[in-house]
Amino acid sequence: MGVNILEVKDLKIGFKHDKKEIAIVNGISLQLEKGKTLGIVGESGCGKSMTSLSLMGLLPSGVDWQNGDIYIDQIQINKNLKKDWRKIRGKKISMIFQEPMSSLNPVYKVGSQIVEMILSHESISKKEAHERAVDMIRLVGIPRPERVVNEYPHQLSGGMRQRVMIAMALACNPEILIADEPTTALDVTIQAQILELMKDLQEKLQMSIILITHDLGVVAEICERVIVMYAGEIVEEATVLNLFNHPLHPYTKGLINSLPNIDAEQEYLSSINGVVPAPADMPLGCRFFDRCEFATDKCQNKPSLFTTNIGTSVRCWIYENGELEGGM
Amino acid sequence: MTNPLLEVKHLKKYFPLKGSRTDYLKAVDDVSFTVNQGEVLGIVGESGCGKSTMGKTLIQLFTPTEGEILLNGENITVLSSKKVRQKRREMQIIFQDPFASLNPRMKVFKIIEEPLVNFRIGTKEERKQRVYDVAKQVGLTHKQLERFPHEFSGGQRQRIGIARALVSNPKLIVADEPVSALDVSIQSQVLNIMKDLKKELNLTYIFISHDLSVVHHFCDRIGVMYLGKIVEIADKHELFNNPKHPYTKALLSALPKSHPLQEKERIVLKGDVPNPANPPSGCTFHTRCPNCMEICKVTTPVLKSISDKHEVSCLLYEELEERVL
Repeated sequence: MGVNILEVKDLKIGFKHDKKEIAIVNGISLQLEKGKTLGIVGESGCGKSMTSLSLMGLLPSGVDWQNGDIYIDQIQINKNLKKDWRKIRGKKISMIFQEPMSSLNPVYKVGSQIVEMILSHESISKKEAHERAVDMIRLVGIPRPERVVNEYPHQLSGGMRQRVMIAMALACNPEILIADEPTTALDVTIQAQILELMKDLQEKLQMSIILITHDLGVVAEICERVIVMYAGEIVEEATVLNLFNHPLHPYTKGLINSLPNIDAEQEYLSSINGVVPAPADMPLGCRFFDRCEFATDKCQNKPSLFTTNIGTSVRCWIYENGELEGGM
Repeated sequence: MTNPLLEVKHLKKYFPLKGSRTDYLKAVDDVSFTVNQGEVLGIVGESGCGKSTMGKTLIQLFTPTEGEILLNGENITVLSSKKVRQKRREMQIIFQDPFASLNPRMKVFKIIEEPLVNFRIGTKEERKQRVYDVAKQVGLTHKQLERFPHEFSGGQRQRIGIARALVSNPKLIVADEPVSALDVSIQSQVLNIMKDLKKELNLTYIFISHDLSVVHHFCDRIGVMYLGKIVEIADKHELFNNPKHPYTKALLSALPKSHPLQEKERIVLKGDVPNPANPPSGCTFHTRCPNCMEICKVTTPVLKSISDKHEVSCLLYEELEERVL
């Protein structure tokens, strides 16, 4: 086992509505090994983006941090101190967002945006920072970096903007990169370029990555371990191979089966009935209860994460004693 | 063989560029194809390739700059606007964004009924019955019809969009990225409904998408678009197993793996899609093409049939053909 560079323990995030506390992330624990890539998969509204924002101390106002601790390099972060967060953001943990247009400032040149970020963390001269910015832009594979630093975001294409975002995120050599749907807004050929780039940079810079996505194909592409989230909880945690070879949780199975498969001919796609329950009226027991085809009376009670004999953790009563049925 | 339901000949849609009388953005540039009754034609391509503009031009939401669109043999581009409106009974569209394409101030019942009112079909009672029938087909309850769009989830709104498209009993449906905004588990629900409806009603779809795996699942034939042109069109198995155009090859190789152990030979394309307002000379793909030859920079290839049901627009194959002759 490698060293855990990031550890999150029992994270709870929620908001108040009608004087009730409503949890959108309900007790997430995760570990990220140094130099590895952890995928977080789930559909819209499962709390994956909130989890990642909390790791940067960027929760929107009105959303409360109810419980949970974060450790970076085994050191606990004081989540209430803004000053602490400012030191961490960009330096220890960086983030790239889904929509590269709205996360760059349209009225500043991309170069100055990278320089601003470098200067806020390191005491070097403006000139050196500018040179670093050019180097970073070159590193992410943009041709003519000397010219691009002096361009505005609207002059760049979507793929280029996402590269600039990556350059900015990596400018201070962070140990952890959080990528929130980094390729969702991009076309497939550009997606392939960006994923190659991320793999490449990870090797060069020994970064650890948390990749948040709804796309299992992207997970298969670059992750080592995967967490599947449903309605604010982890329902399955596995190595990427186990996830694809032996998906355990009924939700994970449903998710994998509902993807159209290019190598097979299917008349109909299998689908998961119903929709994700609203945060305000979550089932008390298993949160997947309403949509699960294997649901029994037992599922009225809340399952915990059971560890199975293949190493996968799964939140489902079927695997209560840790055994896989029927020798999968 | 069945008769083609839709025949498109040399369709062009140019948009004038701001401040210029001579320059145009060639969103759709000389596209020809046919679609048979009961067939599903997929159109794939990256953003900005003109696939949505083509979809909208097909049902005359845009007036084509040039070219003919024959629906059941009748050229609809020369019809008066009044007649075109009547023709839309037979061809409808489903939009990508289920949030933006439904009027937030109309109840679902009204939304679905509106085409019938527009086309002056039936009495009030008959219309009501028709709306209920269609709602049942897409899986909406009577109670849900009395609600407003904001009360529905993305998948359900897309069902409303489908119901509205179906209510006037069209023959052809243009589906413009109908499942792109949906989560995978919901995406499969909507695709299954669309497939059921196709069988029940013998519908013909033109299915526009950027997602190759969805297109592979849903379509019979697939056309690949690049910068306003169809560069390759073939039966889906032929296209996936035996792609000819270098762009199709790159597109297929860029698909993410379906399993972590899958070995994939990647053709990573250089650069981005060129600006469609100022496309490259010759073959528009030559700036990114891994097999680019000198001739590609000056000669524009045309779509040519290379085998039964497989057409490709690339000079690599034109040359081959000549050598064989």
